Amino acid sequence: MLKNSGVAERDLVEKVYPSEERRKKGAFAAIECFQRIPCDPCVASCKRGAISPPADINDIPTADFDKCNGCGLCISVCPGLAIFVIDENYSVDEALIKLPYEFLPLPIVGDIVFGTDRGGSPVCKAKVVQVVNTKSSNRTPVVSLAVPKELSMDVRGFCFDDGKEKCECDCANTQPHLHTPHSTLHTQYICRCEGITLDKIREYVAHGYTTLNEIKIISRAGMGACQGRTCRQLILNELAKTTGQPIDKMPVSTFRPPVQPIKMGLLLSEEEQK
Amino acid sequence: MNKTSSIVIIGGGISGAAVAYELAKRGQKDIILIEREYLSGGATGRCGAGVRMQWGTKMNCLLAKYAIEKFETLNEELDYEYDVEFKQGGYLMCASTQKEYDQFVKNVALQNSLGINSRIITPAEAKEIVPYINTDYMIGGTFHQKDGHLNPFHTTLAYARAAERLGVEIMKYTAVTGIDVQNGKIKGVMTDKGYIATETVLNAAGGYSQQIAEMVGVTLPLYSQRHQIMVTEPVIPIQGPMFMGFVHNIYIQQTPHGSFIMGRGDAYEPKDLRVTSGWQFMEDMARNCAKLLPALRDLNIVRQWAGLYNMSPDKQPIYGVVEGVEGMYVAAGYSGHGFMFGPVTGVVMAEMMLGLPTTVDVSALGPDRFASGKLFVEPSVV
Ligand SMILES: Cc1cc2nc3c(=O)[nH]c(=O)nc-3n(C[C@H](O)[C@H](O)[C@H](O)COP(=O)(O)OP(=O)(O)OC[C@H]3O[C@@H](n4cnc5c(N)ncnc54)[C@H](O)[C@@H]3O)c2cc1C
Ligand code: SF4
Ligand code: SF4
Repeated sequence: MLKNSGVAERDLVEKVYPSEERRKKGAFAAIECFQRIPCDPCVASCKRGAISPPADINDIPTADFDKCNGCGLCISVCPGLAIFVIDENYSVDEALIKLPYEFLPLPIVGDIVFGTDRGGSPVCKAKVVQVVNTKSSNRTPVVSLAVPKELSMDVRGFCFDDGKEKCECDCANTQPHLHTPHSTLHTQYICRCEGITLDKIREYVAHGYTTLNEIKIISRAGMGACQGRTCRQLILNELAKTTGQPIDKMPVSTFRPPVQPIKMGLLLSEEEQK
Repeated sequence: MNKTSSIVIIGGGISGAAVAYELAKRGQKDIILIEREYLSGGATGRCGAGVRMQWGTKMNCLLAKYAIEKFETLNEELDYEYDVEFKQGGYLMCASTQKEYDQFVKNVALQNSLGINSRIITPAEAKEIVPYINTDYMIGGTFHQKDGHLNPFHTTLAYARAAERLGVEIMKYTAVTGIDVQNGKIKGVMTDKGYIATETVLNAAGGYSQQIAEMVGVTLPLYSQRHQIMVTEPVIPIQGPMFMGFVHNIYIQQTPHGSFIMGRGDAYEPKDLRVTSGWQFMEDMARNCAKLLPALRDLNIVRQWAGLYNMSPDKQPIYGVVEGVEGMYVAAGYSGHGFMFGPVTGVVMAEMMLGLPTTVDVSALGPDRFASGKLFVEPSVV
């Protein structure tokens, strides 16, 4: 389930895709934005008017594929990193995926990396074709990857290592997964607002705190400015892995207002603000 | 999964956890504590966790003094591996009307006679303690340095972990669905994870204690009511004490983490079990805060939430034996100040359940006081 895992399923994704016919015509924006939140910068970013202004700020944006030419201007603008541009006509057997990438180091054109799916698992090798990191990228560089055509609907990220070589981490995951040397765990932040590392989370799990709410109350993970938007799914994934419980069955914490931090003074009337 | 137990405690808030620990510490074996969600998931984990000795009646002063002196060394007593975060920055109580001020003067005299070193302060002195207070709305106040606040999650977990080490079994995510009473005696407790045979039950279910009482056919004169609260982003430490004003309807503290937590009451809240959040609260709260502590208006609010006050007719807890059902005890109805009584609830209920004399005399807080009309009236409640 998207709500618990943070990973959109294929059927959900297919709904926002253009027709087979349109896909053949060239690049298009895949707006994989599935949560109703008050957000709309993508609308203004599109110079071609392909994303119509929502009736309600919480509405989920959709692209008009007759207007969209896959320019990719919207990619870096989306704070949710939810927009990708897909070109299924990149080569005979490759599709091009343009994706937002906010990690360091940035890849170099020509690198061969591992394309990962929405859940972060490596699924193929991919060639880095372009890296755009200009002022207008506003610190959200866009990386273009050439991937096998049949995976155009799946590859949404990449990593430099597919974890097939002997992994130093102590987790029970037998599937190929991201290489996580143990020595880096204590600096691997799960909750960035409160500075809680993966190491710390594992300590609490070992003490018997095995639900999201329990981890939250003991560590403060999820109580910071973002209110769990960053760490919620990371913690659920870790808990699912260590407790063996299916992630869909794990209780999540309550969503509460305000949706984003709001200055107290803004709630006062003009008179009172003086 | 059926079990047998000597004592079943219903509710894993501060009350249930403290009683479990104090019983086990006195040698009681085979205790089971049942909590429907996670420990502190009820009012305890949602509360302001302020603790004060500045009360208006002798009993409340003594109960709070006893509890706070225990909070001071709780980490050590419970060998807690983390920290209950007790910040003894004091309570600054603001008097805004002459009537309130006169009451405060009486309270301080009483408190001083009981060894509580509270004092009357002028608005100018208040400003020395919290420099950014707007004293326009204040005619005077009281201050007591040993009051303060804790982290309610850690406080509950500290008790629960110590109880577990002493053999208490804690069943989290387990709901009590019924209580088996035969010939006026407790025989067992039904849960969604099976039956537990027992002859003694403590109802420490907070906002849900009426429901638990109904399971043995008793109606307690309690009702629950939502109370809302909110928290800001963290900033450097600028406020020592909990600031509290009854007339202006506000309590506000800065936690050791740096965030400000503030709440207020709403007389128009319906009496039910809702714990959703309402927009009106955030506006009203911001307004109160901006008026009394104008410097805080630039802080960002990051979250609001709500919990249940469990109200009794005289706004005092009920500690005691439930008449007519042998083996049934209740510790509920704290009316918004049950967190600070937690340690003393633990001690007096454990003593009562083991047939020992109680350290603090709480006979005036028995469930029978309502029928006999002997209400206990405390002038200083929020
Ligand atoms: C917003 C707010 C602010 C507050 N501020 C303060 C303050 O500053 N200082 C202070 O001293 N007090 C304060 N209080 C009051 C304080 O929170 C409570 O009095 C206190 O926490 C009560 O603790 P408890 O353990 O008795 O109940 P709770 O913490 O409510 O615990 C009862 C538990 O029973 C469980 N339960 C219920 N039904 C069942 C069932 N059928 N089966 C199994 N489990 C069940 C619930 O899940 C719950 O966890 C505040 C309360 C609120 C709501
Ligand atoms: S890819 Fe370009 S045209 Fe298409 S929606 Fe985004 S900004 Fe508009
Ligand atoms: S900017 Fe991104 S997250 Fe915001 S509405 Fe558009 S697609 Fe969704």
